[in-house]
Amino acid sequence: MHKHVKRAVAAVLAASLAAPAFAIGGAGASSHATTTSFPRNETVYTSGTAYSPPTNWNPLSIGAYATGTIGLLYEPLFLYDPTANKTVPWLATSGSWTSPTSFDIKLRDNVTWSDGQPFTAADVAYTIGLAKTSPTVPYANLGQYIADVQQVGKYEVVVDFSKPAYTQWQNFLYGNNATPMLPAHVWSKISASAVASFANPHPVGTGPMLLDEANAQEVAYKTSTHWWATKDLGLKLKFNYLVDIVNGSNNVELGQVLQGNIDLSNNFLPGISKLVGGISSSYGLQTYYAKAPYMLSANTVWLEPNIAKAPMSNVNFRKALAYAVDPRQIASVVYSNIVQPANPTGLLPNLASYVDKGVVAKSGFSYNPAKARALLKASGYKGRTITLEVPNGWTDWMAAAQVIVGDLKAVGINARATFPVYNTRVADLTNGTYDLALDNNAGPSATPWAYYDRIYQLPIQGKQTAQLNWERVNDPVSWALVQKLGTTPPTSTAALQSIYAQLEQRTLETMPVIPLWYNGAWAQYNTTYWTNWPSAAPSSNHYTPVMWGGWLGQDTTILALAALKTAK
Amino acid sequence: MRRYFARKLLTYFLTFFVAVTLDWGIPRLMPGDPIAGLLAKFQLQPSSYAALHSSYTKAFNLGEPLWRQYLDFWWALLHGSLGTSIYAYPDPVTTVIEHAVVFTLALLLPATILSYLAGNKVGAIAARRKVLDNTVLPFSYMLTATPYQWLALLLAFVLAGVAHVFPISGGFSYALVPTLSWAFLWSLLAHWFLPFATLFLVGFGGWAIGMRNLIIYELDADYAHFLESLGAPRRLVRKYAYKNARLPQLTGLALSLGTIVGGAVVTEIVFNYPGIGWLVLQAISSEDYFLLQGIFLFIIVGVLLANFVVDVVYLLVDPRTRIGLQGGTR
Amino acid sequence: MSTDTTTSTDTTTAPRHELVYFALRNRKLVIGLSIVGFLAIVAIVAPLFARSNPNAFVGPPMQPPSSSYLLGTTYFGQDVYSQLVNGLRQSFLVGVMGGGIAFVVATAVGFTAGYRGGAVDEVLNMLTNVLLVIPTLALLIIIGGYLKGTSIVFEAVFVGATAWPWAARAIRAQTLSLASRDFVGLARLSGVRSWRIVVGEVAPNMSSYLFLTFILLFGNAILISASYDFLGFGPPNGVSLGNMMNLAFAWNALQLHVWWWFVPPGIAIMAIVGGLYVTNVGLDEVFNPKLRSVS
Repeated sequence: MHKHVKRAVAAVLAASLAAPAFAIGGAGASSHATTTSFPRNETVYTSGTAYSPPTNWNPLSIGAYATGTIGLLYEPLFLYDPTANKTVPWLATSGSWTSPTSFDIKLRDNVTWSDGQPFTAADVAYTIGLAKTSPTVPYANLGQYIADVQQVGKYEVVVDFSKPAYTQWQNFLYGNNATPMLPAHVWSKISASAVASFANPHPVGTGPMLLDEANAQEVAYKTSTHWWATKDLGLKLKFNYLVDIVNGSNNVELGQVLQGNIDLSNNFLPGISKLVGGISSSYGLQTYYAKAPYMLSANTVWLEPNIAKAPMSNVNFRKALAYAVDPRQIASVVYSNIVQPANPTGLLPNLASYVDKGVVAKSGFSYNPAKARALLKASGYKGRTITLEVPNGWTDWMAAAQVIVGDLKAVGINARATFPVYNTRVADLTNGTYDLALDNNAGPSATPWAYYDRIYQLPIQGKQTAQLNWERVNDPVSWALVQKLGTTPPTSTAALQSIYAQLEQRTLETMPVIPLWYNGAWAQYNTTYWTNWPSAAPSSNHYTPVMWGGWLGQDTTILALAALKTAK
Repeated sequence: MRRYFARKLLTYFLTFFVAVTLDWGIPRLMPGDPIAGLLAKFQLQPSSYAALHSSYTKAFNLGEPLWRQYLDFWWALLHGSLGTSIYAYPDPVTTVIEHAVVFTLALLLPATILSYLAGNKVGAIAARRKVLDNTVLPFSYMLTATPYQWLALLLAFVLAGVAHVFPISGGFSYALVPTLSWAFLWSLLAHWFLPFATLFLVGFGGWAIGMRNLIIYELDADYAHFLESLGAPRRLVRKYAYKNARLPQLTGLALSLGTIVGGAVVTEIVFNYPGIGWLVLQAISSEDYFLLQGIFLFIIVGVLLANFVVDVVYLLVDPRTRIGLQGGTR
Repeated sequence: MSTDTTTSTDTTTAPRHELVYFALRNRKLVIGLSIVGFLAIVAIVAPLFARSNPNAFVGPPMQPPSSSYLLGTTYFGQDVYSQLVNGLRQSFLVGVMGGGIAFVVATAVGFTAGYRGGAVDEVLNMLTNVLLVIPTLALLIIIGGYLKGTSIVFEAVFVGATAWPWAARAIRAQTLSLASRDFVGLARLSGVRSWRIVVGEVAPNMSSYLFLTFILLFGNAILISASYDFLGFGPPNGVSLGNMMNLAFAWNALQLHVWWWFVPPGIAIMAIVGGLYVTNVGLDEVFNPKLRSVS
């Protein structure tokens, strides 16, 4: 009896140890799963983008598609370079307004899809046309402005508008919301209602890589030999594989970066400023800037009051909030200086040329507790406790919220930080049941239009699902100015600058949102296997170093990847 | 014998039924709309939002009245389906859990069984050798009083972070694709060792102390003294004491399964080990009802099964029940 | 926990002075109580002398232990020593409250099931089994998501409400064996009400056992609440030992080698819980003469 029991136990143990190999072998949506291992010096490992397993390669499923879908597989017509603040022709060679309601796009003629079919005007026409035929695509609101899309020969498209829509169209063409081009011969078979949500497990794209392998832990891409940019722009990826890891917690990723298992980490890694030392240091870690703020700025963090609720509805109370908080303390204590305090207008550094210095000098705010107290008194605040909501698990924001609450208490505002789970927090903001929140949806864009569009969007719905105007400010004058931006031609720079100045002034006077600091485009590179990463040094390239959705394929990260060299 | 089993099985089925009902019901008590949660990552215009929302709600069958969802749940369960996951849409829940449960089993089974056997053995030896007792005992107390996550942090810090002997996290190397190869198995083993060691050490301490105390108690029982007075060799007395001590230890094993599962959860989190515990946290943050339900179900069934196995072993080990005692109460 | 020795309560109530005599001579009891007692005193007294707000940013970040900061500073520049002693206090509180609640529930369920028997027993058994099988950790995470944030009281109540099953089982077993004794039968015959019998006859005869059970529940409560805090489900604004470990982990203390942030809280928990377990075994030896002879 004893011997049999021992044998049985041993068998159970052995089986349980080997079980993972059997169970997960063969998982995933790979189309050509011949790779069993990735040679280290031919592979670039990235992390910091994916928080759930890769199961979706549909570029229209914003927020759900796997890392690399846009950028490595699918490509837009233009790229946007935030550092230089200019566009890079990509699948299109040029685009221009031939009249206030007509836009002409000329395409490249030697691009092929990964299934061998040529990329033509039909694909562009199909992609733009979805705005009118499918209500579920993210750019469906463009449909009301587009009258017609014509194909002129194989490589030219003319888009006719029913009314001028400069900014909305620009939003579609380039910038972080730029839409990639889809293969008409494959996608026209999908029904209009499923187009934005089906998983697309066998993606056909024009990009430099092909989907190789996917499992619960990572997604792997293999370099394609048919990329158009090699011939046209002299760009070639020097690695054969790119593997993006699904994140655990950020501290786990730091360990992996230090051990050289990850080349590019886009995670927030607390304490990174202590470990960065350039190529010569023992860890071989590098960031974009060699000293503070170490990271490029990615988006503006707002302290967002719920203007539909008292006491946030009072403008003096909101101004008191602005003067009460010290963003420099947040930057140094919570972030160890890898972020920088925001300009009072809140516009990101790439838009510095749009900031009207006179307006800022006249109406700008800064940390001043005495002034905050005075404003608080003027607002008639009675002492009601207000809550600041921050998603549970966002550790840096949780710590920042504690600092902010401390600052608010110091001037006499009864504030309390709460940490609901992410979905609850989004629901509270969407439904308007919150008091204060931190919001960093204001990401980079080519002009300030998107920033003010986000602040002043009207009408205010019961549920603000588009996450625009989450603070529920009802300002028809400012909204009219924003809409005017959409009908003013991009060439009328003087007129545009005057509108921006007015918006900046009004925003500082009415304080619908309070810009605090710029969250960083977190990027840490381990230079053991790959070098020539983007940096501020004059001899390096200044491309964007993040793989996040909205950046990889729309900004210049793909150029950064093409510039990588092996370290040997 | 049959009545004993019949009663046990009835108890198990009833417990299963109640637990499963609770399992189905509790995630639905979570605040918020899971589809809204799924769409929270998107930033959609109201028309797109409404269209997507209704199509997902239909896909997940969430528009039905609650009683209907409950019945559908049992029906699907009996057909082996646990629904579609939101966290890893559109993968089915069973697939997502499959990938994770093997990792947790690979941790729990060896850790529990080995720590139980080793702990019992060492505890028994310590009960009769004073020298061993004085070293093993304080060490075991320290181990069993250690919080799992702290030991995990220590091991990760010392053996992985500083000494670089083991990998610091993950289930297997990023450079390998899951296949049946020696390289992959070796990578699995290397990543498995530290989490296993954590669970093993904490469990070992507890079992060692428990067995040591029980043996001491047994050695002082009447029958032990009687045997000694008859001139029986010490080894024989100890053998009987050991056999008697095993029974309460087995009961203890069944009772501690919940704690062990809890320990596995925090250990998996420290090591980012892709098992069930780690998956629970992902499911919660994605408000994925179906995945949560599925995981709970697995845990409940697993613990019930383990209890059943322990009961059977108890039956085989305890001569009184083997000879046909009815078991149960008066 | 596996340290629960199912000792029977065969001790006749030994005369008081005999118990005290053996208690003072039992090494395990003395050591265990000293450790726990010392830490309890620290928890009560030390926060009064340490910095008033343990979460205040008082110094340069990530400093190793020095003369100005006894246990160094955290990533944010908070005083680890101050956090440790305040955390001790909170952990003790949750442990006592949670253990206490679990004790009350376990005794209520155990006595009732053991004494009454029959259908009541079956139903309570079912309840106990279901709770043993449901993963309480996941339950907590869900309920925690319902509330905007948890508090010390909530945590203690939850720990108490979920930690009692094994103790109820054990108490029931003891009650069963006692309930069949003559003196209980006699009390029943005299018409004494059931709860009076339980409280007046049964409980005093298992008092030592009950005491030991409470100690184990107390220790368990501390361990469980440390797990909950570690996972981020504890009260967000407080300081506890588990929360220190949570923050240390989340803010890369491992990789940045800020060991002074997570090692002390772990040692503190180990000391309290270990001390409690050792006290438990020592007390067991004091109450049960049979165990005294061995070590």
